[in-house]
Amino acid sequence: MGLLRYTVYRFIQAIPVLIGISILTFVLANLTPGDPVRLMLQGVEADQEMIEQVEARYGLDRPMHERYLDYMAGLVQGDMGHSFHRNRPVSELIASRIGPTLLLVLSAYAFALVTSIPLGILAAKRRNEPFDHVSRIVALLGVSTPSFWIGIMLILIFAVQLGWLPSADLVYPWWSPEAYGHDGYVEHLVETIRHLLLPMIALGTLQMATLMRVERTQMIESLQGEYVKLARAYGVPERTIMRKHAFQVAQLPIITIVGLNLSTALGGAVLIEFVFNINGLGRLFYDAIVQLDYQLIMGITMIIATMFVIGVIITDIAYAYIDPRVTYGEAE
Amino acid sequence: MISTLVWKGITKNGRMPIPRTMVDKLQTRRRVLASGAAVSAATIAGCIGEDAEGDDGGDVADISEYQYDREEPDDEDAARESSLEFLQPAERDEDFDPVVSFDSYSMQVANLVFDGLYEWDDEMGLEPKIADGMPEEEDDGETYVFEIQDGIEFHNGDEVTAGDVAHSFTAPVEEETENAATYAMIESTEVVDDHTLEVALEHPYGPFTLVTMAVPVVPEDVRTEDRDEFNTDPIGSGPFEFVDFQSGEYVELERWDDYWDEPQPYVEEIRFEDAPDDANRVAQVLAGDADVIDTVPATEWDEVEGADDVRIHGSRSPSYMYLGFNCNEGETTDPDVRRAVSHSFSMQAFVDEHLGPAAAPLSSPIPEITNDEGDWDFPVDEWEEQMPEYDPDQAEQLLEDAGVPDGWEPRIIAPEGGPREALAERIGSRLTEIGYGADVQGMSFATLVDTYTTGNADDYEMYLLGWTGGPDPDAYFYNLFHESQEEVGQGHFYEGQGEFHDNIVAARESADHDERRDLYIELTEEVLEYLPALPAYSEHNTMAARENVRDLHAHPAVSYNPRIVSDYQNTWIEE
Repeated sequence: MGLLRYTVYRFIQAIPVLIGISILTFVLANLTPGDPVRLMLQGVEADQEMIEQVEARYGLDRPMHERYLDYMAGLVQGDMGHSFHRNRPVSELIASRIGPTLLLVLSAYAFALVTSIPLGILAAKRRNEPFDHVSRIVALLGVSTPSFWIGIMLILIFAVQLGWLPSADLVYPWWSPEAYGHDGYVEHLVETIRHLLLPMIALGTLQMATLMRVERTQMIESLQGEYVKLARAYGVPERTIMRKHAFQVAQLPIITIVGLNLSTALGGAVLIEFVFNINGLGRLFYDAIVQLDYQLIMGITMIIATMFVIGVIITDIAYAYIDPRVTYGEAE
Repeated sequence: MISTLVWKGITKNGRMPIPRTMVDKLQTRRRVLASGAAVSAATIAGCIGEDAEGDDGGDVADISEYQYDREEPDDEDAARESSLEFLQPAERDEDFDPVVSFDSYSMQVANLVFDGLYEWDDEMGLEPKIADGMPEEEDDGETYVFEIQDGIEFHNGDEVTAGDVAHSFTAPVEEETENAATYAMIESTEVVDDHTLEVALEHPYGPFTLVTMAVPVVPEDVRTEDRDEFNTDPIGSGPFEFVDFQSGEYVELERWDDYWDEPQPYVEEIRFEDAPDDANRVAQVLAGDADVIDTVPATEWDEVEGADDVRIHGSRSPSYMYLGFNCNEGETTDPDVRRAVSHSFSMQAFVDEHLGPAAAPLSSPIPEITNDEGDWDFPVDEWEEQMPEYDPDQAEQLLEDAGVPDGWEPRIIAPEGGPREALAERIGSRLTEIGYGADVQGMSFATLVDTYTTGNADDYEMYLLGWTGGPDPDAYFYNLFHESQEEVGQGHFYEGQGEFHDNIVAARESADHDERRDLYIELTEEVLEYLPALPAYSEHNTMAARENVRDLHAHPAVSYNPRIVSDYQNTWIEE
């Protein structure tokens, strides 16, 4: 099967999966205990008549299956519904919040990759030496320590005590410097990085620790391969062996892990978004759930599900592309 | 024999000799274990064992200690260049049109953009703002005639007229917004001339002169031209103009240099952002990343107070937290059982331990500030004496006399994760101490809202909730006690003695202050006698500000903070 045909086939396969997710999410959201209208009207002088009025305004007085079909009919036309709690289109809300989350997640993964790969390679090269032991401890700490705790500690030390870095918020590079009162793009870039450092480290530490160990293991395995022994026997320099022969093969599991984790990272960033006060998709999702904002819950779930499905497909394709041993579905 | 000799040879007096290092290790290990046991015991005791009730652990500061004298800048020109960043504790709904907005944090912004017909002073007394003096009352409180001051302009230069005030009163009902109930008693308005407005009510309405008149005035023409646009780019006559807004990010206001009233604000720019996470919000003000934060969490109070460059500002508030009893089903239908539960724990001790200076116990269904500022002169001292005191023996006796079975474990529901859940757990542990039990359930607010109005004893026998009213007791009595609010805003289903519910309506629909006062006294005494709800505590309104933020004063109404400029403050930043 050619690459293109394989890709199309995988995307078509994803459609019933997404429909299933939409049904499950819709039903679960609507069956969650709580009345979103009563919740919204807490603190306001209200009576039964007002409650019914508000329910009718947002169509919440209609049967669930009718609301679901209406929602799906709108979704296929690009209408993700209306957040009744925020009184705004869901698509507008998601569009305003997805940028900060992507910035956070992508930078966290960049941090994880940039640190874990060289550290993993070094640990593999210096196997059972002090560096390897230290890296093992660092990895253990990174995996065991909750990311939100790391975030809180970083804030306390670097922001509150030392005053070196900001304690909250991100600076969005896609906004103009004037929006922040910055003097030009250089200051804008510097501030973007300063605001990104702490949340990036907090979120990326777990991934860094995991990837470092996987990199180490994979490099050790690669370096023990027959082809590497042959290359050494031919007198190929060690540096070339590392770079050309061992490294590339060792990245295949890394690609898989990063590809799969990245797809779900949008939702996983919610704790860091709270700790650092970042107005991202994770926080919006949490608020939507707490407020029983059904259409917003649906919209965000469908976005995350779609991104996950796309992420898995891209990972599979990338894997097949890199490793010539992997075929596109047909037995040889 | 040989084995005995061998045993004696290798032992000392029959005891196995232990090497010195091992002895040291054993002793060290024992010490560690012993200290660990002591620490564990202390930790466990600390977790489950609360201080004995009545032992308040020392004096708790009064909120008045967090109010400061007026300050004036030495350099007014420098003060007028101030720029202030204010962090709110929750996300705004981002409806800035007062006709539709019912969210306190959006109204914090709107109250700087709009002036009210009347406004609350620093203690919730109503004073004329756009109005010229107090209204003329006619027809026994069914008609009010307002005079509007001459020469007041909106930010676009249009003059504020009686027509705009009329629209501000009637639009919520006409457009069926969530604020409709606040103005539903208005039958009609008549614009007599550009500066005179007559408002006719369907019936006399007691809270009208204490609450309803404080309507923010909106420009009718601009607003009705494009309501959606107006909602996110409002125009008012207030001291600040709405200049920039990024949904979910920030709102920026700028001083309006043509503001019609005095004093003119020093602050040039205000930026509102939200920081719902308590720890992060506090960290931002401690780190100097924000100038002022709204709401100092009780759990962070000591840290904020101990910080060198930060001051806490506080004010009493009309917030009212209460323990509601299910009077519809279950053991709590018996007033003696309700009284017994009230005797079983000390509210003062709980507030001191868990909330400290951030709250004060209540002695009536009417917060202290409501009594003071509505000019009610309620017999609060007498009511305080009627409140059940901590007396576990009395609690146990009452429950026994009421025939409550030994295995009684009432379900107590509360919002999860905050002081109300802690209070529910406190009540549960005290009931356990006197031989009963409790099933304490912290719930998400969505679930709680759906649960506490069923009247079903399997769902709850007690619930902990709150309400924020104002200077009029009607806000509390009608919404929290009247039978019309069953399944809507009240879950106790208390039927009342005699004319309890009729009296709540009578007090609401009377314009006679003395008559209303007498009715509220009667109602309060019944509530204290039969306890459908036990008043718990009132959370103060607090802010924390960097020390260079000067002349900042907390207002009792959440939506009025930060007030920035008024007769009692004019905030600026000292560089």
